[in-house]
Amino acid sequence: MAVNLTPNAIAAIESGDVNAKPLVQVLDIKLIGSTQERYRLLLSDAVSTQHAMLATQLNDRVKSGRVRKGSVVQLVEYICSPVQNRKIIVVLNMETIIPDCEIIGNPKSLVESDSAAQKPLFNGNLVQSARVSNNNFSAQKPGHNVQNFPPTVQPPYKPPPNYKNHGPILKNDAPARIIPIAALNPYQGRWAIKARVTAKGDLRRYNNARGDGKVFSFDLLDSDGGEIRVTCFNAVVDRFYDAIELGKVYMISKGSLKPAQKNYNHLKNEWEIFLEATSMVELCPDEDGSIPRQQFSFRPISEIENAENNSILDVIGVVISVNPSVPILRKNGMETQRRILNLKDGSGRSVELTLWGEFCNREGQKLEEMINSGGFPVLAVKSGKVNDFSGKSIGTISATQLLINPDLPEAHGLRNWFDGVGKSASSVSISREIILGGSKNEIRKTVSQIKDEGFGRSDKPDWVTVKAAISFIKTDTFCYTACPLMIGDRQCNKKVTRSGNARWQCDRCNQEFEECDYRYLLQAQIQDHTGLTWVTAFQESGEEILGCSAKELYSLKYEDQDDDRFGGIIRSRLFIQYLFRLKIKEEMYGDEQRVKITVVKVDNVNYSSEGRYMLDLISKFPRQ
Amino acid sequence: MDTSNPAVFVNAELLRLYVGRRVRAVIQVLRSDGGVVTGKSTDDNQILVKGSPTSPLSKFVEVVGIADGEKSIHAEIWTNFGDTFETHTYNQLCQLANGEFKHMFL
Repeated sequence: MAVNLTPNAIAAIESGDVNAKPLVQVLDIKLIGSTQERYRLLLSDAVSTQHAMLATQLNDRVKSGRVRKGSVVQLVEYICSPVQNRKIIVVLNMETIIPDCEIIGNPKSLVESDSAAQKPLFNGNLVQSARVSNNNFSAQKPGHNVQNFPPTVQPPYKPPPNYKNHGPILKNDAPARIIPIAALNPYQGRWAIKARVTAKGDLRRYNNARGDGKVFSFDLLDSDGGEIRVTCFNAVVDRFYDAIELGKVYMISKGSLKPAQKNYNHLKNEWEIFLEATSMVELCPDEDGSIPRQQFSFRPISEIENAENNSILDVIGVVISVNPSVPILRKNGMETQRRILNLKDGSGRSVELTLWGEFCNREGQKLEEMINSGGFPVLAVKSGKVNDFSGKSIGTISATQLLINPDLPEAHGLRNWFDGVGKSASSVSISREIILGGSKNEIRKTVSQIKDEGFGRSDKPDWVTVKAAISFIKTDTFCYTACPLMIGDRQCNKKVTRSGNARWQCDRCNQEFEECDYRYLLQAQIQDHTGLTWVTAFQESGEEILGCSAKELYSLKYEDQDDDRFGGIIRSRLFIQYLFRLKIKEEMYGDEQRVKITVVKVDNVNYSSEGRYMLDLISKFPRQ
Repeated sequence: MDTSNPAVFVNAELLRLYVGRRVRAVIQVLRSDGGVVTGKSTDDNQILVKGSPTSPLSKFVEVVGIADGEKSIHAEIWTNFGDTFETHTYNQLCQLANGEFKHMFL
């Protein structure tokens, strides 16, 4: 099958014609690059040959065999950048016309020694540009080092035209073409992208060995779905911070490309753009709608159960509960807000979502109002972080975006599902322990196993669950007088002492008051078929166990002095079976080490799951 | 506690083996007409229960009585077990109580 390649195609491209869409033949394909996959093609127009780099979004064509050695292709979109005294072609889009063909014509092939000769030049250039770059990024983020380009034959990186360099540089003054974000790479000569800001980070100040600095980043999404983060430092921040607005479309050019910082940057792009004083950012006021507002890749909640701790993902679900904000003290001494809410989707699972900081007051508040007025809004989460502290849950990070009832097909689908069967469909939470045999976190033991297996003896406390009943409660002291004053959102609860006859005094709050609070401090014995042991229970567990408040019991015993009724209540609470979650830790009491057991939670036995759990245990009995 | 006349835990499959004996079974009430209640056993078969319950029946009922046929029980005691019941767990109990752990049950 004879086909004619476009005559002089190579020469035409090299002289700047990027619209001809010529037919050329691929003579060779080589995989280049150690950190990232790049393909270098050798193209021929039957007479001349030239190397061309394949844009990474086309890598699949080579991998799937659609483009191979001998393929005749039509170059649909391509650019040619002059660098030093060579021309580098980058193919952005092409069509395979004939997958397999004998070599057409008599192309003069490139000699390999050319490439070898490039190497030292390349390395020299590298050092040069690195030094130059360092001078201009005065306060780099700590740990952001000089590029190490893989030592392979690649077109030398052309530094941004501003910088004086040794040797002649052919300046390309043609206006930069808009290319897809996915095609961006440091070997590009000039480039421009047109994209929408999908996230705008906060302005952050930092302090490191080199001094003070500030930085901010924003994320871009273009019409092909490509995403990339853009970062500005110091003076560049001042130039662009106010100009960049979330949701608007900009044309950006003359930035530099460096490997993405995977710790902070969770976008699917190996590169990140760094803007400089000479970068250009132009607002594109006419919305052409071809660029989506945001890109998600939602995972069903059931898949999150197997997600890796600390991984970043998107999820969408119906909010079924919202808890109030609580202040949390962080490790650095700063206080922040935290809110927990639950999301449910069609996968039969629900998950806890933890909102931190501003999310609590903004979206968290709005969601709470919606739930309180009986609604169940759909919430989309972009870039939530998986946490495996208790089951699997998701938390917000600074890069997270929350969208309430977004206009997305997934949201509409969820809405229809929930309003139909979803609302009453049962779902299991992946964030809390499941009673059946316990989740990975819950260990079920008997009372005798606590001593026999030596729980509580290591540096950290042990947590076990025991099915048992209270067999005895110490009643001479079952509660203490507590300070009722509020510190922030929480009650002080320190033990108060009598001051004078009728008043109480708290040493922490430094105040006196008439009425104190009463809080449980129970010493009780729990018992199962293997044995009994002493435990301590505080307020919440105490209320579960006794079924009434400490104050009520206190009044009954000491004010009304009704021993009969008091005794009656206590007796009625004995021998009720519960699932006790226990914290076990050995502590020093005087000279000896004693194992201290605290009841952290009291749960009613769920008979259906407990029945299944026991059947499972029976099946594991050793056979005679 | 009167242990003179223990009732065997049965489902439909086990009922056949204890004709003439005192048995107990949990059934899901399907139909009730004229002195006979048709119930679904915990192993998804049908059991007929003869007798008149003294009060309205809930969805799940335990009957204790004499097995008077391969598929029927003459009930003496009816106990309402409510509208939710773990039939699978009960069925496993019947199998364990008549199999491996028969010696623990009279």
